[in-house]
Amino acid sequence: MNAFIAGVGESPLGKTPDLNAMNLQHAAALAALADAGLTLAEVDGLLTTPIRVAQWAMPVGMVAQGLGIRPGYLATLDVAGASGTAMVHHAAMAVATGQAKTVLCVAGQNQLTNVSRDATVAQLASVGWAHPEYEAPYGPLIPTLYALVAQRHMHEYGTTPEQLAEVAVAIRGHAALNPLAHKREPITVADVLASKMITTPLHMLDCAIVSDGAAAFVVTAHPGKKKPVKLLGQGYGFTHAYIGEHDNIATTGAVQSGREAFAMAGVTPADIDVAQLYDCFTITVIAELEDLGFCPKGEGGRFVEGGRIRLGGELPVTTHGGLLSAAHPGLAGGMFHVVEAVRQLRGECGARQVRDAELALAHGNGGIIGIHCTLILGNA
Amino acid sequence: MLPPRPTNRFMLPRCEGCGKFHFYPRPACPHCGGARLAWMEPSGRGEVYSHSTVHRAPSAAFKDDVPYVIAIVKTDEGPHLLSRVVGVSPEKVSIGMRLRVRLGDRGPEFEPEA
Repeated sequence: MNAFIAGVGESPLGKTPDLNAMNLQHAAALAALADAGLTLAEVDGLLTTPIRVAQWAMPVGMVAQGLGIRPGYLATLDVAGASGTAMVHHAAMAVATGQAKTVLCVAGQNQLTNVSRDATVAQLASVGWAHPEYEAPYGPLIPTLYALVAQRHMHEYGTTPEQLAEVAVAIRGHAALNPLAHKREPITVADVLASKMITTPLHMLDCAIVSDGAAAFVVTAHPGKKKPVKLLGQGYGFTHAYIGEHDNIATTGAVQSGREAFAMAGVTPADIDVAQLYDCFTITVIAELEDLGFCPKGEGGRFVEGGRIRLGGELPVTTHGGLLSAAHPGLAGGMFHVVEAVRQLRGECGARQVRDAELALAHGNGGIIGIHCTLILGNA
Repeated sequence: MLPPRPTNRFMLPRCEGCGKFHFYPRPACPHCGGARLAWMEPSGRGEVYSHSTVHRAPSAAFKDDVPYVIAIVKTDEGPHLLSRVVGVSPEKVSIGMRLRVRLGDRGPEFEPEA
């Protein structure tokens, strides 16, 4: 499948009280098109995700109208946190089948400043990740549902709170080198462990932040004007929507999504230079490292020790700062992992550049570890 | 089609074809595909599969409950289900702890087996 990511961009990130969701998406779209050397007039395909801060009856129609375009291929995509990586795959299918030549993928919202943080927590808890009749009445937070994964992982494999904390510390260290990141002050393992306990064993700093922001990329049938970045492989893995009945919660659908993506690309985990792993919680990264095959099952906690996932380590992970530190504006959060993979492969990352990065993995995780989409990207 | 979950007893859907329990309710048995399903009463016993003590309430409705224990319970009949563990201080809850059901206002809850 010949598909390239020719342009990437984002809006201002963090706290942007003067910008609504459309303003943010417009800014990201224009940045990605400028990066690709393209204009809105050349866009003939459009993908976006739902937003949760406003009632957009037909999100992709709202975005198309807001941008002033009438694309011949358009869709609103929602596989939760896996939407960012899945957008690349859907856009690639559109260009590979000739449905479109230039697919703009754009999403984001003012998740932070639209409402209070308490309202965001309540809203997220009521989105429906806990079954409305059989689970929600007990009062789990979304972080609680991930905490159940963490607790079981600790029980089965001996993973420690310090190892979970190291994920947050490493990724914050990367955010410190990203001028656009929302949270940039370095933190230590002790800081994570001393941060407020939200839902055992997850502390505040084990959890993603809440941000305003939007991201965009342009998928094309041709390499584009910058150093080419090609989609080499992708895969999906779905296991469940509600985690309550899942009988093996310490293992995720990343097993399947990774296996398929690596097979399609014809490479192995050892070939990957930089991995943009979905980091909604620290446990997510540890499970993904194992399930994607970067280490044996159960070894994820030990794998992150000794700086192995930090810049300069054996496998730098989530080098823009991720959902834990750079930006998490809802469904668009996983798009920034794609944006960063492209920039790493082009060699544009400055202080956080992984030297000679030629093969990158970007991974999205949606729901409560229930749906995964893995991409492998490389210099063509 | 299964009627709504009975509230006066702890019941799980059971397939009359293969005899296995499952949860959540669905149109066909996830084990054998059978469509003859009925609410049946399991033993009400099980164990903690995983747990988390919530310290920050998701909304005002849960503020008075904090801290409380959310758990995935592995029933002796097989199905896992999300519930609360009550009647024990949160720090004493551990994976593998034996439980028995009791009916609460929120639905079935679990407490340590006597």
